[in-house]
Amino acid sequence: MLWMAVLVLCLSMTAGSAQTATLKLEAQLLWGTNDGTSPNPKHKPVGPEIRKKLKELPLKWTNYFEENRKSFDVAEGGANKVSLSDRCEVEVRNLGGNKIEVTHFGKGEKVVKQTQTLPKGELLVLGGNAPNSTAWLVVLKHAE
Amino acid sequence: MENDAHLKLQAFVDGELPEAEARVVASQLARDADAAALIAEMKFTRHALAGHEKAVRVPESRDFYWSKIRRQIEASEVERPAPVAIPWHAKLRRFLAPATAVAVVVIAGLLATQPVGVVGGTETSLSDSGAFTYRDFSSGTTLVWLSYPAEETLDDED
Repeated sequence: MLWMAVLVLCLSMTAGSAQTATLKLEAQLLWGTNDGTSPNPKHKPVGPEIRKKLKELPLKWTNYFEENRKSFDVAEGGANKVSLSDRCEVEVRNLGGNKIEVTHFGKGEKVVKQTQTLPKGELLVLGGNAPNSTAWLVVLKHAE
Repeated sequence: MENDAHLKLQAFVDGELPEAEARVVASQLARDADAAALIAEMKFTRHALAGHEKAVRVPESRDFYWSKIRRQIEASEVERPAPVAIPWHAKLRRFLAPATAVAVVVIAGLLATQPVGVVGGTETSLSDSGAFTYRDFSSGTTLVWLSYPAEETLDDED
């Protein structure tokens, strides 16, 4: 009986690893500030889930505003490049098994390449300082 | 006299020699006094043992005596100790030990072929020397902080 269970487990894991998985991702471009409001009327306050996770990071800003948001899929073995602004792009390559390679482009030039697993619900945050003690952030989320 | 010769004389006394060989030994006895003396002593010894051997009698009849022996043999076979009963947990352990070993090998193989885990799977390639990476395990969030772009604001893009 146990042998059968082990066999079934092996077969299921093999089948699970063999099937291709498309990642559903969401990228957000955020602006971080200590001001209560944004001077840009197009900005929207960031959602509570992202806000909560950003609060747990060693960042000094109290408020985050959403400049742009894009949802996109990346097939296993494939890549997708999304533009969040004229100067900010991210390319995500699906390496399989929730493992991704994220390349951030600033003004068309590659700034950073990050390779890691990104299980559902987890975040990858790329950010940097901006003038007037503010910050820019790109939040990549593995959507449900 | 050689040992073989002694044995042949003993066989002659016991009547175990073939007839032709027995005739040869008998003719030899007429010429060999030592052999004749030895034969005489052998015959005397045999006679003495046969005449004074104590007869052993059993109280039971022959058939009953042997049937008693047979019953004792059969009883000893019946009374052979029963095999020790193995407890259920020992049987289970005997079954689980090889199964567990196989399962461990299979799982180890699967883990070796699976993608790298969450904790150990982070790799950063930076063209920004002032950048750093921070991982918050409780919230499952990875932060890559860059010095780019230090002099511009995102609002300038609008």
